Amino acid sequence: MRFFHALIIPLALLAIWQAASLSGTVSPYLLPAPEQVLRSGITLVQSGVLGRHVAASLSRIAVGFSLSIALGFLCAGVLFRWPLLDKLLSGPFSFLRMTPPLALTPLLILWLGIEDATQIAIILLASFFPIYLNTRTGLGCLDSSFRELAASLHLSRTRRVLCFLIPAAIPSILTGLRLSFGYSWRALIAAELIAAGSGLGYMIMDAEQMQRADEVIVGILVIGVLGWLLDALFTRLASALLARRFPEVKEL
Amino acid sequence: MRLLEGIEKSFDGRSVLRGVTLDLVPHGVTCLLGASGCGKSTILRIAAGLERADAGHVLTDPALSAIVFQDPRLLPWLTVEENLRLALPAFCPDAPDRIKSVLDMVQLSPRLLRSMPRELSGGMAQRVGVARALLRTPDILLMDEPFAALDAITRSKLQDMLLSVTGDRPCLFVTHDIHEAFRLARCICVMDRGVITEAFPSEDFSEPDRRAAVRRLILRHLNLKELDP
Repeated sequence: MRFFHALIIPLALLAIWQAASLSGTVSPYLLPAPEQVLRSGITLVQSGVLGRHVAASLSRIAVGFSLSIALGFLCAGVLFRWPLLDKLLSGPFSFLRMTPPLALTPLLILWLGIEDATQIAIILLASFFPIYLNTRTGLGCLDSSFRELAASLHLSRTRRVLCFLIPAAIPSILTGLRLSFGYSWRALIAAELIAAGSGLGYMIMDAEQMQRADEVIVGILVIGVLGWLLDALFTRLASALLARRFPEVKEL
Repeated sequence: MRLLEGIEKSFDGRSVLRGVTLDLVPHGVTCLLGASGCGKSTILRIAAGLERADAGHVLTDPALSAIVFQDPRLLPWLTVEENLRLALPAFCPDAPDRIKSVLDMVQLSPRLLRSMPRELSGGMAQRVGVARALLRTPDILLMDEPFAALDAITRSKLQDMLLSVTGDRPCLFVTHDIHEAFRLARCICVMDRGVITEAFPSEDFSEPDRRAAVRRLILRHLNLKELDP
């Protein structure tokens, strides 16, 4: 039911778009009709162009986001364990967090070229901080009464971490993962617009240079729908796997 | 058996315990009875190793005791079984048998093992808390007003259960409920403003007439007036 509710406004917008095209109030050069966009989309799919660009973007996201998760968890764990290191790194981390990844693009192109390494570095910069910060905050979330329980049970450090600290951080970690996926998806597309030879962002840029507004719209729709689907997949998966133990996950 | 000797404890310069020495009966429940804020929970926490005394000695190893808190304190993200397993070593081949045995003792069905804590009633959750403490096979069982938040009927059932599981081991039971102390204790230690003022062995209150006299004495120690003579 929730899925159908989410479709109501997009379908209404589609109807308005169709009506505007049929009435001839908008130039088809600026805003092609929905059926023109659909035809372009089908052509792009049949020719394999769209699939190639989608695969390029998704593979970069997979690598960049995985690296981000690994690095975010590692840093959160290490800095939680050694607060002095946390203090020492707070300045550099704040600087990096406040610097938009795209501002670093020229430098990254200079260092890494316009191949995948630059895009992955941008994904890493965009998605690291939400994961790191939420995990770091989550690790400090354990209720003092449970700390006391762990002490009274004389548990090993490993069991304290696995049974108390990490589970207490799960809701916060999931929020961080969801936020950072959105950030990394948007940053990737933006990076592909500037410096890439493939990917959905590159496809849009290429279409714009060929003055193909219909293909630009196909690209935009694919980016939005893919992001939406991946986000929905993440929340469904998290809910299916974790909702029994963490009821708050349902509200993600 | 002596549990604590000459314990002193202050919080922010305010003296909470003043030279407390506490003996437990070797088998059964010793009740520490006193009004809220008199320091009885602090004694328990010091005995459990959760708080450090400013002076004095804890004469048993806190690692050999087990504590039951006022709230059941079950981890909400673990099943009942996983909560119970926390009290056992990480690799414990006879864990299922030991868990089944303590579930029998606290009169809980093994079907609850897969339940989440939020699916249990208050009484059931507190039974799981007691079972977790018993799984550690402690030398001393420490209980901090464990039934205070329960309704009267559930409390009465859990008191019966406690009497059945504490017969062969010492148990320090903190309460502010004089009726509970009479029901459970083989010895009642009365506490007032950081000092144990008197101890009454069960022979002193085993008969109704003597119980009334002890009750008056306890109330006098606590500077309270008799409300329902």
